[in-house]
Amino acid sequence: MRVAFSHLERQFANIDDYLDDIRDLVRTGDFTLGVALVEFESRFAKSAGLPYAVGVGTGTDALALSLKILGIGPGDEAITTPTTFIATVGAIVMTGARPVFVDSEDGFVIDPSKIEAAITPRTRAIVPVHYTGNVADMPAIMDVAQRHNLLVIEDACQAIGAALDGRPVGSWGEAAAFSLHPLKNLNVWGDGGVVVTRSPDLADRLRLYRNHGLANRDEASIFGCNSRLDTLQAVVGNRLIDQTDFITRQRMANARCYDEAFADLAPHVRLPRRRPGVRHVYHLYMIRAARRDELLEHLVANGVEAKIHYPVPVHLQEAARFLGHKQGDFPVSEEDSRSVITLPVHQHLTEDELQFTCEQVRAFYRRSRVRRTLWNVGACVPPPAG
Amino acid sequence: MEGQPPQSTVVVCSNEDGVTFPRQREVVLTESFAVVLQASGLGGEPEGLLYHAGAQEHPGATRLEIPYANLAAQSAEIRGELLEAIERVLRGADFILGEEVRRFELSFAELCGARFAVTVNSGTDALVLALRALGVGPGDEVVTVPNSFVATTSCIVMVGARPVFVDVRSDYNLDPAQLERVMTPRTKAILPVHLTGRPADMDPIMALAKARRVAVVEDAAQAVLAEYRGRKVGSIGAIGCFSLHPLKTLGACGDAGVLTTQDEELRERLLLLRNLGLRTRDDCTRWSGNSRLDTIQAAVLLVKLKYVHEWTEKRRAHASLYRSALNGIPELDIPTDKPHEKAVYHTFVIQADRRDDLKRYLALRGIGTAVHYPVPIHLQSAARDLGYHRGMFPVAEHQAGRILSLPVYPELRADEIDHICGAIHAFYGT
Repeated sequence: MRVAFSHLERQFANIDDYLDDIRDLVRTGDFTLGVALVEFESRFAKSAGLPYAVGVGTGTDALALSLKILGIGPGDEAITTPTTFIATVGAIVMTGARPVFVDSEDGFVIDPSKIEAAITPRTRAIVPVHYTGNVADMPAIMDVAQRHNLLVIEDACQAIGAALDGRPVGSWGEAAAFSLHPLKNLNVWGDGGVVVTRSPDLADRLRLYRNHGLANRDEASIFGCNSRLDTLQAVVGNRLIDQTDFITRQRMANARCYDEAFADLAPHVRLPRRRPGVRHVYHLYMIRAARRDELLEHLVANGVEAKIHYPVPVHLQEAARFLGHKQGDFPVSEEDSRSVITLPVHQHLTEDELQFTCEQVRAFYRRSRVRRTLWNVGACVPPPAG
Repeated sequence: MEGQPPQSTVVVCSNEDGVTFPRQREVVLTESFAVVLQASGLGGEPEGLLYHAGAQEHPGATRLEIPYANLAAQSAEIRGELLEAIERVLRGADFILGEEVRRFELSFAELCGARFAVTVNSGTDALVLALRALGVGPGDEVVTVPNSFVATTSCIVMVGARPVFVDVRSDYNLDPAQLERVMTPRTKAILPVHLTGRPADMDPIMALAKARRVAVVEDAAQAVLAEYRGRKVGSIGAIGCFSLHPLKTLGACGDAGVLTTQDEELRERLLLLRNLGLRTRDDCTRWSGNSRLDTIQAAVLLVKLKYVHEWTEKRRAHASLYRSALNGIPELDIPTDKPHEKAVYHTFVIQADRRDDLKRYLALRGIGTAVHYPVPIHLQSAARDLGYHRGMFPVAEHQAGRILSLPVYPELRADEIDHICGAIHAFYGT
């Protein structure tokens, strides 16, 4: 059996509907900032539970543009966690600001109790990441932010639909960045991103900035960039967005199934802390596993496309050398990077595939327990005399 | 708009530069475009729908006789092929940096006579990444022209450098004679633009750049296939930057851009810069953003690549027709080709006395035109802090009040060009 990591192969049950939409679009030539994008933005905002959504080129741009519009730039510091995809940091560095790392807690999200120690007079913003689709501890983060007068911009690239005590991600910070990359829970068929915000003013400025700063065709009121979500991708998004709830529920159910199957595998498998009140949307289903690399090998050899997100934490990347970090600076993040493994959790997994994956993980530890026992027995045999 | 009830009507809308498409929409009929935009709920969309003047005067299915640009006509000819290419990508589901991206890069490099091509998400990003790859940043200056699309300057501002403008000549391109005067020890690069699809005068620019050891980045956003002394643009400077926006001579079905270079090291840097600095999935060597060309767009471009020579020759033929038909109107300046240049006429820009009157006159006769661009960059409010003022670039400023772009898309017919030229003659009474 092959258990695919990606849902994409099964997204096209009725490809003709999509092609019809695309055919209509090609007929009009309405390719940039078109009618379908306006529609998608309003539906995305509604789905995110916030008033304004602005479509941009990528999730990375969603974060970078938000930071930039909020005035983060050279000389400033932005706090985030090294337990994230590198794009979080890329976005901060692109604004000219300096990323400052704070270790993560159990659950792959920033540890709020460690933020305060990282604040300097240059700190302007906190960028919590709702990594894997979990929700960072926003009340605690907002508390720190308010006391120190810091902006909060949520990296929700992996977390569409996630919520804490019923409150959706993106509703705490000034703005939140979402990614529509093909592998995301809600995806388009290329790169894409969305900024969501409560502020009409911020939304206006983002619309200006993503489109060359053009107040109208001929007048640039600021120097901006070009980061527009293609109308073509908005057409795809408009078809898929209604599935968001189904996708989320399916992923949550799959995750629950895994959690139950692995509950008794401790200490070999350690589940991340599942905080009450969190609607974790499981963009990634990650566990911490003993002998992770062997487990990965075993799963892949048996057809389960498991992955590692990511073997090298961000602060130890070559790109981060200028920050002067070393092994040991962020022990939780580093330990996670050594032990995490990601299992397929997408919405189109079948019951068989799910059970097969559970069974492969369990079998790995069963077999290795036997091997280890034999080895232990062997070790007890006294060395040959002489 | 008080007292006027919204009316549901089919109008011919146009987006940026007058691409037309019919839409059913609530509109309030007024004289002001802005009010109509607001009423349609699209006010504030910088590139939102613009209603043709005729559509407001005649509610109902009014049609522009000759729109300024007509993407629908282009798509019609190759729609089947385009959709097949898109469908193949959908079925393969390899949406990010897929096989089509690689194939398009190889073909585009060959098209431009360059060793390498690296695709990105937009022409603007191409410029930004070019400057980043060359190490241009805060404290540096980049010399460019004030009469381009605003992105030529934005890219400089975005990397933290200072744009330094130099005036243009009658062909709308950088005046090399004025270049030396504006260069300082902080000048890190020169950014000439091949505006309208006509190559800038590259020899003196390259000579000066070499003498002063600064890089040349060609803004070839409008100039795929243009040639200067037998060399394709994009293969002359350190890096060439192209836009593949839908309205360009080679255009995707969305934003797209590509860079060309002869230098392997620059290519390696560009590959990192466009993909988050990732050397491999897990190895990030420098921080960067994400600016990848979608596989779907690469597939579209591969289809169009087959036609770009043919389309370009049609544009050039249209230009010749215009030249002979408009010859002898003393109020006009008509672009001509010098023997050593091959212009590709992304735009066919004339200069006209009483330009705004002429534009309106043509619009009322169903002829769409555009102005590229009415406000020079140094006079934009975005540029207020750069310290420039009116009068500093007299040629560009003078041209901004006279230039008018006539329709020149490949699907335009000879009789339509006759009609346009007839209307222009009628306007001037010639």
